[in-house]
Amino acid sequence: MSKILVIEDDPAIRKAVAEGLRQDDFEVETGGDAEQGMEILGRFEPNLILLDLILPGKNGFEFLKEIKASVKLSKIPVIILSNLGDQEEVQQALKLGAEDFLIKADYNLSEVVEIIKKHLSKS
Amino acid sequence: MQFTILNLLLTLGIFTIIVVSIFLFQYRRLRDSLAGREKEMSRRMYQLSILRELGERIGYSLRIDQIVEIIAASLRRLLDYSTVSYMLISTTADGKSKIAFSINLEKPVNKLFIEDVKKTMLISINTLLEKNFKSEDLDETVSGTITDPTAEEKVGSFFNVPIVIAGEAVGILNIASVQNQRYMQKEVEILYTIMNQASDAVTKLQHVLDIEKGKLNSMVASMADGVMMIDKGKQLTVINPVAKAMLGLEKHVTIFDVLDSLSNVIDFRTKLEESIDKDRLVVAPAITLNDKVFQILITPVKDKQDVSLGAVVILHDVTKEKELEKMREDFTNMMVHELRSPLTGVRGIANLLVTDKVKNDAVKYADFVSLIQTNTEDMLGLVNDLLDVAKLDSGKFQLIKKPSDISELIQRRVASFKALADQNNLSLEAKIAPDVPGNFNFDEHKISQVLNNLISNSIKFTDPGGKVTVSAFLLPAGKDLAEKVVEQSLVWPGLKKGVNVKSEMLMIGVTDTGVGISNEKIGKLFNKFVQLESTAKSEKKGTGLGLVVSKGIIEAHQGKIGVFSEPGEGTTFYFTLPINQVINKDPNQGS
Repeated sequence: MSKILVIEDDPAIRKAVAEGLRQDDFEVETGGDAEQGMEILGRFEPNLILLDLILPGKNGFEFLKEIKASVKLSKIPVIILSNLGDQEEVQQALKLGAEDFLIKADYNLSEVVEIIKKHLSKS
Repeated sequence: MQFTILNLLLTLGIFTIIVVSIFLFQYRRLRDSLAGREKEMSRRMYQLSILRELGERIGYSLRIDQIVEIIAASLRRLLDYSTVSYMLISTTADGKSKIAFSINLEKPVNKLFIEDVKKTMLISINTLLEKNFKSEDLDETVSGTITDPTAEEKVGSFFNVPIVIAGEAVGILNIASVQNQRYMQKEVEILYTIMNQASDAVTKLQHVLDIEKGKLNSMVASMADGVMMIDKGKQLTVINPVAKAMLGLEKHVTIFDVLDSLSNVIDFRTKLEESIDKDRLVVAPAITLNDKVFQILITPVKDKQDVSLGAVVILHDVTKEKELEKMREDFTNMMVHELRSPLTGVRGIANLLVTDKVKNDAVKYADFVSLIQTNTEDMLGLVNDLLDVAKLDSGKFQLIKKPSDISELIQRRVASFKALADQNNLSLEAKIAPDVPGNFNFDEHKISQVLNNLISNSIKFTDPGGKVTVSAFLLPAGKDLAEKVVEQSLVWPGLKKGVNVKSEMLMIGVTDTGVGISNEKIGKLFNKFVQLESTAKSEKKGTGLGLVVSKGIIEAHQGKIGVFSEPGEGTTFYFTLPINQVINKDPNQGS
């Protein structure tokens, strides 16, 4: 059973994504900001991280940079799920080591779950 | 006796002769002087008539060649001559001097005569100007009657009159005749006088023009836009100080400096040529130079005859407009983000609600439905705020004022937030002074909206254990607000002495013991663009447009909204409402 960490500040989206993944038998932990995310990573070893970019406090880019700089965490694939989606932001996220960049409005819940599954089967 | 009579007669005769001679002498003198005066008078009259005619024909021309031409044409009534000629010096664009030579033949003369006139005039002009012009330097025009190869007469007599403008000799006028000793002092003098008066008139006109040019120059110099004039030869003829500053240039500036400073941002030479050659306005909409954004307009300039004179270049600073445009774009982007986020949540949850797992789990189901409720309420709140802002912007914001009880309204609002305050472990209370009037005109619903906004903000930004106080009291005209606050046993951090109002106001304050707001941020609190963006990035819920809407509501009531704050101690958001129907658009209450 794969483990997923969801970092998303919007409670509705957070709950919806978590529930959607759980229904597909994923083990899910959620955090509302980067700080909570780091705290969870201390005790929970996810197979994949689903990351929002606009977050209170430290933003998603900074969180991604920290993960990729850590020896222990850098191998965990990160998928961005964000409202942002300018070419510039997509490029920056991919450059920092994100596996994929999903724009919230473009994918419904089941599609997001399918994409996560696809990435997990690759690794 | 006889002797005596004879003697007497003789004496008388001598006396008579003397008297008569004296009389005759005097008479002659008188007659001569009268004749002289008459001659002088007619000469003067003639001068005057020529001058008047000159005046009329010259008009306001500054072209000295035209003026000399007119004088030459008038001379035949005054003098008898064979030719009238003039030489005028002009300077070409490349700095070389050139002489225009024009000769008008009144009577047929031979070519030799013309050469003679030319020679004597050259000698004269070289002496006058201490130059060394040769006949090759002449630009010759011959007019009037035809030359007569058979004519043999040489120049019999001539005279030259210098042409002087503003104290400077610019040429000479020559009158020549085949007859010997044709010209006397008087003829020369008349021409001198006419020439002098004409040059006087031109000098005066030049002076007036210089003044006008000075006015124009100072107008260009004081313009807020950068202005440059570039002539057909691509030379910079005018540049005002603003243009120099915009281009980062100093002191003496040439066209090359201008091209240089713009070289990285625009192909200015090509644009200039495009404007002049194709005779059309060329606009470069946004050129960034030295951290500023400029709009550059190049307009071709032509004279009355449609001959191109060059181009005028206007540099218009659009930095502020561009900033505003960017703010607007950011605002739209954030607005879309703020609506898209809760909508995405609703869609995700709706997807789940149809799944059996959630359908069969009553607790989960209820939780998800309540999330949809919260999200849709947030969206509706945002849309309402946006609509209010739009109404405020377009001036369609309307109040429904009726006599209402402000004390009761405050109590009701405070009571409605009690639960939220308790939840956040905050104390919330209302302190209403007894002199607050029971009934006066205001829009109860809109003021309620303002109170909701201010109270919920205070609760949001105050840490647990803190305190939120809603106060209301009357502030008489001229009374110091800081003193009044102390009298009311209130503490408003950041409020200093020196704040008062011009007419009596009802003062309502919402004070918290939160983190406070820095002065820099206070200025941005009521800006709709800044607010929406900053809240999107903070963890606090809300559109951030509440303060913008509140400001609009209070200002529509002829009141004022503002902030006093001391970082670390707390913040008071206050607003005033005029209570005795005195309209006071600018209560002097800045913080």
